[in-house]
Amino acid sequence: MQHVKVPQDRIGVLIGDGGETMREIESQAEVRLDIDSESGSVAIDSVGDPVTGLVAPDIVQAIGRGFSPEAALSLLNDEMRMFDLIDLDEQTRNKNDLQRQKGRLIGENGRTRQLMEELSGAEVVIYGSTLGIIGQPEEVEAVRRAAGMLLDGAPHGAVYSFLERKHNELTRGFDVSSD
Amino acid sequence: MSETSEETWGIAHVYASFNNTLITITDQTGAETIAKSSGGTVVKQNRDEASPYAAMQMAEVVAEEVKAAGIDGVHVRVRGPGGNLNKSPGPGAQATIRALARAGLEIGRIEDVTPIPHDGTRAPKNRRF
Repeated sequence: MQHVKVPQDRIGVLIGDGGETMREIESQAEVRLDIDSESGSVAIDSVGDPVTGLVAPDIVQAIGRGFSPEAALSLLNDEMRMFDLIDLDEQTRNKNDLQRQKGRLIGENGRTRQLMEELSGAEVVIYGSTLGIIGQPEEVEAVRRAAGMLLDGAPHGAVYSFLERKHNELTRGFDVSSD
Repeated sequence: MSETSEETWGIAHVYASFNNTLITITDQTGAETIAKSSGGTVVKQNRDEASPYAAMQMAEVVAEEVKAAGIDGVHVRVRGPGGNLNKSPGPGAQATIRALARAGLEIGRIEDVTPIPHDGTRAPKNRRF
């Protein structure tokens, strides 16, 4: 049994239309979700295969951190697909700095975030004070590094060229393996 | 869990940090090691030791050894670095459990045994990644 906290405004998404999303998670991951909509605490009990139940806390947390249910449930599609969370609160000095760094990560009209998604192939969501990533391990690693560079104060251009390079590496690796 | 008296169980201790993954499979008492492996046995580069791919390969090798020793199922105890360091198990943990399951070992209970401080020493200062 595990507990995950979900913010108030994501509870609705977690439950879904008439409990649809909740049931979907329960049947696909073979778990039972006990959602307390007052406190936002979700208790996760594995009822079936413990190995499939392993990702359930990640799915719930991903939805809690702003991912769409479809993106979160994609964690079940593929063995290697992983969810990673960067706590921006920990990496920034104060509220103003958090605001500024979030702006830098998102970019003008969301351009930086979008480029991070397109060039790495992972899904990136910035919500509240966290940056969440869902993707293959290398993709997640690339986004993590890129976000780290931006938080360290690297200029956007440098980060884009880093992502571009990673993009070439990732796609080239794919071609070789598909031959 | 359908546990017949014929099955022999072991414990798979999985220590997954961000720099390495260690797998040790013991008997149920935890005193007798049956098989063990770490990231360095399957990859060349140090930075790949913690990768899920390395963990999968390690789990496959270890599963073979363990089955040869006559164990059919394992309970899993995962552990991250813990203490005042990172509390969540690294990327190798999930991959290991999956690979063990796929290699034909039955997975019993999965337990998180990351050491949690009851307010111990001061945490190291925050570093950028």
